[in-house]
Amino acid sequence: MKREKRFYFDVKWFLILAVAAFLLIFQVFPLVFLVIRTFFREGSFTLEGMRRIYTYSLNWTCLKNTLITASLSMVFGILIAFPLAFLVGRTNLYGKRIFRSMFVMTYMVPPYVGAIAWLRLLNPKVGVLNVFLKNLFGLSGMPFNIYSIPGLVWVLTTFYYPYAFITISRAMEKMDPSLEEASRISGASPLKTLFKVTIPLMLPSVVAAGLLVFVAAASCYGIPSIIGAPAKIYTVTTRIFDYVSVGSAEGLTDASALAVFLMVTALLALYAADFVTGKKDYITVSGKSVQPSTVDLGKWRVPLTILVILFTVIVIVIPFATILATSFTVNMGKSVFTPGNLTLKYWNTIFSRKSILKSTGNSLTYAVSSATLGMIVCVVMAYLLKRTNVKGRKIPDFLITLGSGTPSVVIALALIMTMSGRFGINIYNTAAIMIIAYMIKYMMMGMRTVTASLSQVSPSLEEAARVSGAGWLRGMKDVVLPLILPSVVAGWFLIFMPCFYELTMSILLYSDKTETLGVELYLYQTYHSQQTAAALAGGILIMVTLVNVLLSKLTKGKFSI
Amino acid sequence: MSVITIDHVTKRFDDVVVIKDFTAEFLDGEFVTLLGPSGCGKTTMLRMIAGFEKPSEGTISIDGKTVSSKDVFTPPEDREIGMVFQSYAVWPHMNVFNNIAYPLKIRKIPKQEISERVSRILETVHLSQYEKRMPSELSGGQQQRVALGRALVAEPKVLLLDEPLSNLDAKLREQLRFDIKEIQERLKISIVYVTHDQSEAMTMSDRVFVINSGVIQQVGSPVEIYRNPVNPFVADFVGKINFLKGTSSNGRIVLDGMDDTLDYGGPLTGRVEVGIRPENIHIVRDGAHLSGRFVTEYYMGEENDCRIRAGSAVLRVTADAETFRSFGAEEQVGLRISDFLVFPEGSEDGRGNE
Ligand SMILES: Nc1ncnc2c1ncn2[C@@H]1O[C@H](COP(=O)(O)OP(=O)(O)OP(=O)(O)O)[C@@H](O)[C@H]1O
Ligand SMILES: [Mg+2]
Repeated sequence: MKREKRFYFDVKWFLILAVAAFLLIFQVFPLVFLVIRTFFREGSFTLEGMRRIYTYSLNWTCLKNTLITASLSMVFGILIAFPLAFLVGRTNLYGKRIFRSMFVMTYMVPPYVGAIAWLRLLNPKVGVLNVFLKNLFGLSGMPFNIYSIPGLVWVLTTFYYPYAFITISRAMEKMDPSLEEASRISGASPLKTLFKVTIPLMLPSVVAAGLLVFVAAASCYGIPSIIGAPAKIYTVTTRIFDYVSVGSAEGLTDASALAVFLMVTALLALYAADFVTGKKDYITVSGKSVQPSTVDLGKWRVPLTILVILFTVIVIVIPFATILATSFTVNMGKSVFTPGNLTLKYWNTIFSRKSILKSTGNSLTYAVSSATLGMIVCVVMAYLLKRTNVKGRKIPDFLITLGSGTPSVVIALALIMTMSGRFGINIYNTAAIMIIAYMIKYMMMGMRTVTASLSQVSPSLEEAARVSGAGWLRGMKDVVLPLILPSVVAGWFLIFMPCFYELTMSILLYSDKTETLGVELYLYQTYHSQQTAAALAGGILIMVTLVNVLLSKLTKGKFSI
Repeated sequence: MSVITIDHVTKRFDDVVVIKDFTAEFLDGEFVTLLGPSGCGKTTMLRMIAGFEKPSEGTISIDGKTVSSKDVFTPPEDREIGMVFQSYAVWPHMNVFNNIAYPLKIRKIPKQEISERVSRILETVHLSQYEKRMPSELSGGQQQRVALGRALVAEPKVLLLDEPLSNLDAKLREQLRFDIKEIQERLKISIVYVTHDQSEAMTMSDRVFVINSGVIQQVGSPVEIYRNPVNPFVADFVGKINFLKGTSSNGRIVLDGMDDTLDYGGPLTGRVEVGIRPENIHIVRDGAHLSGRFVTEYYMGEENDCRIRAGSAVLRVTADAETFRSFGAEEQVGLRISDFLVFPEGSEDGRGNE
């Protein structure tokens, strides 16, 4: 009897300890080391690193750029997302469902794809849209220049407003309609109710949504590196990248100070976002709820629908179409429809060139590994969180959340500094370091989906297996896993997708042997052939769309994004 | 012989004592009910027997083997018991047959035998035509019977039931009460049944354990407990009752706020609490002990429930329709008390649900 008892605890505890050890070694330790390195030099505490952020003008400029672009993107993101969320969620706008899934889908598209598209559209010399507008209005010069702070803000905004849109939509859907009805009964008009009840009630989620956009924009590497760097507009993330590629000790010290600053800012902002909404109700699960009443737009229904269509065309259709068009264009100076200018060459290239195939293969391997290992961790940790009362069961969940909130450059930098042999582990330049970085950054998506679905599986279902004679593992296999399977599959894809096209961490961590799709695309865009990059981006776009459709089919519409 | 022995079991969650020094023996083939108000620790006790919770102190033995003690703990899967959960816990991803067959599959019984035994159980729980259905295609009562079938299929000596009928409508509840009792007698298994519904406890059990705040109040057959409750809490919990305060001396009890007295041959003197069940109060014209006036009446068919003001107290009285009709609305009535219980004032008092 005694032996069996031990065995039953062993399996569970072995898994739990293994996961805890993983998180401690590869996440907590590197990040702590980064902080220590910033504040301790030659064994004594110093604020020199922090001071250099504002005394050294290169650092200070890039910090200013980051704060300015992220803040502006936050403001514009909210200004776009709130009305859209309201129109799509709470009114009788035409085509609500289609709009909704289009906005949500943008969330899955890697931001550098947007950068590539807008570069092509608003290049100050040959930008397609620039030329078109110039000819249309007979202007003397080009109306827009993408290589500027406003250009950066524009692309950041159009790629990060979906974060705000999703957050605000969820809050709107969850709102108790009787609160608004009470206001109507008290004699307030629908418009007055909107301003006196709906908006104030939405305020916490609007603040949270804004902070999410801020963090995402500030942590973004792809957009500022593709748009900002050619214009000599550096941000914290691109600066860190430069320091790392130069690799001097002095530079790395500056890089770690900037990274710590960025990380702390991001984590504080995310904590504040959680705090104002009062609950971590994340964006991956749509809760069933009472359908809030819809507002009749009346005579505004048609004009507002047209306005939303216009927005969708500018922000989604045009950029994505541009990517596809570019990938079929021989001479980028001419329209794709000019006779002889249409080609399948670049699509051929991406399916035949060896280096591209190898990178794609690498990305597939790493993404599949990260998603699979990640989901194992998530299932174990979600179980620990929801089904046991072990002290400290919230710690892994907290660490996983922390990891996802930590900017990618910071994770990569911390791993480079600690995992290149200095502390007995040398996985630099290997696939392992990529997979670990991906897991730290993206596991949270899986954790959220699994936790949500596990809380809907009553513990008694599992206990019923136990009294039927099944041990813990057998009960997991026969009862718990089958019941949470859709969420495990959904979680798997939610980890797989961003890993597959990841750029920021990969570009810091890759070697000749471990080049990934994101890196390949970036290198083609910057150095070789923009059409090939566009074809790769087009491939990613198609894949994102397919996965999204697959996901909502697979889970009967319960999970998407 | 006893199938389950619970010896000085105490259960604490953090520092809160939920079960206090619980000692009991459940006999072979016995139908035992743990009865008590919500939160008194019934589920916790049952889960300790099943092995989902460990006692903080004390030992539990099943069929002569110690399963929980300071240094022994048998996990639930090795305790060979059946259990029906309050929420049924029928697995939504398995059909009726697979749900019921599961304990047999775990025990590696040959396929042929599994299907025979499941068919037999399906007949027992009246679900023969439903074996291919998924749980979502079953009514609540049918799901409950699947859970019962699954608990019975491995022929456990002990079956644990945690408020298995509480989610069902009144009619189905009656039916299943009867079914469970009948199955128990046929299969000759022991049942530990948890409920807060006194009528369930009274109609099904061989013995009832009345529990309050984790402490056993009284153990006995339903009749004993109903007739001779040891304290006002038990008296109140196992049936309807009116409590009146009074003073006992010289073989009489003078009730507070009333001119009337009751004859009392018992040993208690001084301040007492008198409990009178509604069915022991009779509305009469002659030979009354108390007098009162109608306050409200509830018509419920042949038996009617009414409130009668007597002095400063309002009494709950049951009377037949004929009696009602013979009295006018605000008419003065006489009340004859055929039986009553006497407790010392200030004794264990867990009432408050009226
Ligand atoms: N895991 C737990 N942790 C802390 N306290 C608990 C736990 N489980 C139960 N309790 C507490 O123990 C007490 C008894 O709970 P239990 O579920 O046994 O009551 P019950 O008699 O079954 O009530 P009910 O009739 O409502 O089901 C309650 O006060 C409850 O809050
Ligand atoms: Mg209970």
